Amino acid sequence: MLHATVISNGLSGLPRAYTSDDRIRYRLEAIVPAWAPDFSDDDLVIAPNGTDHVALLAIRERMRAFLDDGGALACFCGWFTDWVPGNRWVHDNSHPTREVELRLASDRHGLFAGVDLGKFNVDRHGIRGWWACGYIEPAPGAEVVLVDTWGRAIVVVDEVTTGGFQLLTASGPLGDYRRVGDTDDGIGRVYRNLISHLTHRTLVTT
Amino acid sequence: MKRIGLVFNGVWSQYAVATAPKYRELYDLVYIHELTAARIATLDALVIPFQSNQPALEARKDVLYGFLAQGKKIAVFGDSTPLWLDAQWEDRPVNNYWWVKTPDQPPIAHTDATHPVYAGLQPRHACWHIHGVYTRIPDNSRVIQRNAEQEVVTWETECYGGTLFASTLDPMVEHGIQQIRHLDRYVDRLTTWLCGETPSGAFTIDPASYGVRAIPGVATGAPAGVGVN
Repeated sequence: MLHATVISNGLSGLPRAYTSDDRIRYRLEAIVPAWAPDFSDDDLVIAPNGTDHVALLAIRERMRAFLDDGGALACFCGWFTDWVPGNRWVHDNSHPTREVELRLASDRHGLFAGVDLGKFNVDRHGIRGWWACGYIEPAPGAEVVLVDTWGRAIVVVDEVTTGGFQLLTASGPLGDYRRVGDTDDGIGRVYRNLISHLTHRTLVTT
Repeated sequence: MKRIGLVFNGVWSQYAVATAPKYRELYDLVYIHELTAARIATLDALVIPFQSNQPALEARKDVLYGFLAQGKKIAVFGDSTPLWLDAQWEDRPVNNYWWVKTPDQPPIAHTDATHPVYAGLQPRHACWHIHGVYTRIPDNSRVIQRNAEQEVVTWETECYGGTLFASTLDPMVEHGIQQIRHLDRYVDRLTTWLCGETPSGAFTIDPASYGVRAIPGVATGAPAGVGVN
């Protein structure tokens, strides 16, 4: 059983994408005044799409310590503040989404196993681009998993900057979206592959 | 001089609008956990964008209605709760693909083009997609936009002293995201209506505003008790 914390800045609808089951137990960690989250019982911390990067900047040292202790971070939102160790997200509006073509560059952990990349590039409603915005400047040695038309990093796995694991997207949302109509070979599949990998990793390291 | 407070939930798209060179002289990022009467005293108007922190807004309800009581304006976008806004918002599936599949059936069917925000806007520029509807609004409110089912999308009231404008559109967040490229039209009119000044030029991004360790106007990443640890 994986124990995950979802950072909550009061957005409605968050629990729909992160519902506990027999593989993973979620808790919501609400950002409040004097916020001092305790991640000591968590295997994974999720910064979902639309999260609060001001509050996360304020706890950057706490997050770093969690990662150095072997924890895992999944950030699915553009971190305009410098709280993610080693990696930087860059907002860029120079290319319209109709020009975006995502392709796999590397996949050591099988995160895209069984995934139809066509569904990342054009969703079931005909919209292109996976809602990813800008790109990531990855840390030296980090694995660039997915790149865009111009070879820029869109999904990064970083296991070198800290003692833990980081899965970062250029603000592309990830979650278990089967409850809202996602198919089994699209965005939600990547998320479930991530959870499978982290479950295995936790079993190995504990 | 900054005239409009953008109530800020730490979300990057909200930040992108308020720090864009086109808007940054007019918009002041007011971090939700720092929202006090003193913090917004010099501002003419507030924008509460989509993806706001609803429990935190409820906790600061008195500050918001005190601001309105001074005759000022507040514009609310996206969802809300009756715990701080005397109206009933209800969720609906977001149709952000209508322009691909049914371009003759936009999510908004009726717009009152006499409202200053909408005057002169083409229908496409007054509607991209909506996040739910209002099934109850305050008495004596003016309905500005409805969907094809006659449900309320946008409304306005002056019953609190100033002007309270509410819409389930999400112009600030989508403008910051920059995947819908025509939102200058809506946001510029909204800005003019809120403060009397019209921004000019194209939406651009200042790279220096990203990867930051401190945010202008926000207390060094440690706002109001959200302490640096």
